[in-house]
Amino acid sequence: MFKKFDEKESISGVLQLKSSVQKGIRTKLIESYPYLENHIDNILPKKDALRIVKCHDHIEIIVNTAGDLLFFRHREGQWMPTLRLYHKYPFFLPMQQVDKGAIRFVLSGANIMCPGLTSPGAQMTTVPKDTIVAIMAEGKDHALAIGKTTLSTDDIAKVNKGIGVENCHYLNDGLWHMKPVK
Amino acid sequence: MSVLEKLQQGPREGVTYPLSLAYCGNCSMPIEYCEYYPEYDKCKQWLERNLPSEFEKVKIGDDGGSVEEEKKRQKRGGKGMIKTKKKEDGPKQVCVSRAPRGKKKSVTVVTGLSSFDIDLKVAAKFFGTRFACGSSVTGDDEIVIQGDVKDDLFDVIPEKWPEIDEDLIEDLGDQKR
Repeated sequence: MFKKFDEKESISGVLQLKSSVQKGIRTKLIESYPYLENHIDNILPKKDALRIVKCHDHIEIIVNTAGDLLFFRHREGQWMPTLRLYHKYPFFLPMQQVDKGAIRFVLSGANIMCPGLTSPGAQMTTVPKDTIVAIMAEGKDHALAIGKTTLSTDDIAKVNKGIGVENCHYLNDGLWHMKPVK
Repeated sequence: MSVLEKLQQGPREGVTYPLSLAYCGNCSMPIEYCEYYPEYDKCKQWLERNLPSEFEKVKIGDDGGSVEEEKKRQKRGGKGMIKTKKKEDGPKQVCVSRAPRGKKKSVTVVTGLSSFDIDLKVAAKFFGTRFACGSSVTGDDEIVIQGDVKDDLFDVIPEKWPEIDEDLIEDLGDQKR
């Protein structure tokens, strides 16, 4: 999603959010990530005026007053955390672990293929289709990508072919390199 | 920590969030991923300079195994390699010059600040408050400060941004507009 993202060219505008919309986003986030409930006040303080950065290709990014990038989404899809945020709170997404061989492909933006999730070095936690997941790696402690499952984990194990998780955001992509928005 | 435990959702006990995580200054990724960056050597150098303790850990992990792995790994035309972001290694230099404005007034033109990764908008604001005058970003890498403050800049810039040495500031003298 952010492979060809460039912060100078791809941003079309920044808007201040109305507080009612902010509330809506908060409830939506808690709904989709129940583990966030106790920490949401740290991530999105109630008094904070959030802004939304509109980008090309129907991408929107939530930004707090300090300019830190927090969540992004594509069209009307689910909100996904940025990796910088997820590294601070590494527990609220279901995690999938890929084997060592897959790391460099994921880091260059490839989607996660089923064999990379089923091999001995890999580990899956059961999730249904279209779930936002964090991609971890064998022998590493931190997430290296945020993705969306295109198959349920049972199907991934069964089919074992083709794309299992769509890579939405990975280390060193355009969003990762984006500087705080002033 | 077992693998399953690592993938367990939910906050860990005895850990306060938000966690703070050190990123590599060269490749910007968490340090454990440095080895997948094409310029791993530069990452190592950066680590050695900035985070010696982390560097020790990497070194220990590196001994043995790595040579063997290098041989095993297939190299198919660099497939799956991350492309290094080309950093523009142009001359890192700030140029200041004076341009006339009307008959007896002048403005100061500062260029080259962005090569030091300085936010121009912030810099312009800073110059404005510092010299009590108008200051604005006028181009891609250009700040115009109203009034002749060229001589002061040689002290002010290194003071505000220590990474810019006074020697890196070049005086272009008077320029026509």
